[in-house]
Amino acid sequence: MGLMNGLDDKFVKKIPGMPVVIASAEWAINAGRSNSIWTLTFGLRCCAMEMMATGAAKYDWARFGFEVPAASPRRADLMIVAGTITTKMAPLVKRLYEQMAEPKYVIAMGACAISGGPFIYDSYSVIKGADKVIPVDIYIPGCPPRPEALLDGMIKLQKKIMKQKLTRVAP
Amino acid sequence: MNFQEILEKIKSKHEVLESKEDLGVLNAYIAPAKIAAVASFLKEELGFTQLNFITAVDLPANNSLEVVYRFLSYTTADAVVLKVKLDRAKAAVETISGVFQTADWHERETAEMFGITFLKHPDPNRLILPDGIEAPLRKDYKNPDMIPLPKA
Repeated sequence: MGLMNGLDDKFVKKIPGMPVVIASAEWAINAGRSNSIWTLTFGLRCCAMEMMATGAAKYDWARFGFEVPAASPRRADLMIVAGTITTKMAPLVKRLYEQMAEPKYVIAMGACAISGGPFIYDSYSVIKGADKVIPVDIYIPGCPPRPEALLDGMIKLQKKIMKQKLTRVAP
Repeated sequence: MNFQEILEKIKSKHEVLESKEDLGVLNAYIAPAKIAAVASFLKEELGFTQLNFITAVDLPANNSLEVVYRFLSYTTADAVVLKVKLDRAKAAVETISGVFQTADWHERETAEMFGITFLKHPDPNRLILPDGIEAPLRKDYKNPDMIPLPKA
C-alpha cells in the first residue's frame, strides 16, 4: 500500500506477522478525504483553460487523487474558482458552493479570483476576489498560473486536509 | 469604390452633415431622424448587406454621444461608418432593427451601456447588465464599489 510508505510510526503501527495495521481514525479519514478529492467541473474564464490542461494527460491531476471531475456540485469536494467573478455571476458561484456537500474546499486560482486582478480599478462589474463571495482555502497567484502552480496549490490543500480535526469545539 | 464615390452616392439621395476619411473608410455624420433611411439605402442600393457592429462614444467635452454604425459589403469588400450625434441629456435615436435584424441586440447592448433610448425598438429590455447598473460606459459613471485608478 503506497499510502503508508514513509509514514511516521505514530500514525500507523504495523503488527508483525499479521496483515493488520492500526491507525488513528482521524488520520485514516483525512487520508481518505485528501486522496480522493473530486473537483467540480466548473470554470469561469481563461484560467479554466489552464485548469483543463492540468486535468488532461500531460499534467494529469489524477496522479494526486483528484480523480473525477464531478459534473454535479452535490458530488464535488473541491471548487476551483478559475477566473473573474462578475456581479452577475457571483450569486451563481455562491449557489454552487452552497449545493456542494461538506466537507468542501475552495481554491482561488489566478489574480482575478484572488483580488479582481487586472480589473480591480475602475470596474463596474467585477467582484474584487472570490473571498468576497465564498470562503477560500488556497490562493494561487498567476495570470494564469502554470499547471505546476495549480498542482502545487492542490497538494498544499491535501496537506491542509491532513491537519483537520474530526472533533469541533462548540462556539 | 473608394470613400469619395461612396460619399457621392449617399449625398445624391440623403443629406450628409459632415464626413471624413479614417484609414480609407468613410465616416459620415447623419441626422438622427434619417439613420434608418440611410441604412436601408446602403443595404438595398449600394450592397452593404452586413452590419458589423453598433456602438457609441461618449464625448462629455462636446456634450455629445455618438452612435457608431459600421457596414460591410460582401461584393466589393468596402466598409462604411455612419455616425449620429446625440445630446447627452436626452439621447434618443431611431432603431435600424427593421433594416438589419442583427441591430436588435447591438442596440440593446448600446442602450444599457450608454443610456441611449432606441425609439421603436421591438424589444427594448436589458441584454446583459444586471439591475442597478445604469450606463456604466459613460465617462461620468459613478459606483460606490468602484476603486478609482491611482494617479501614476
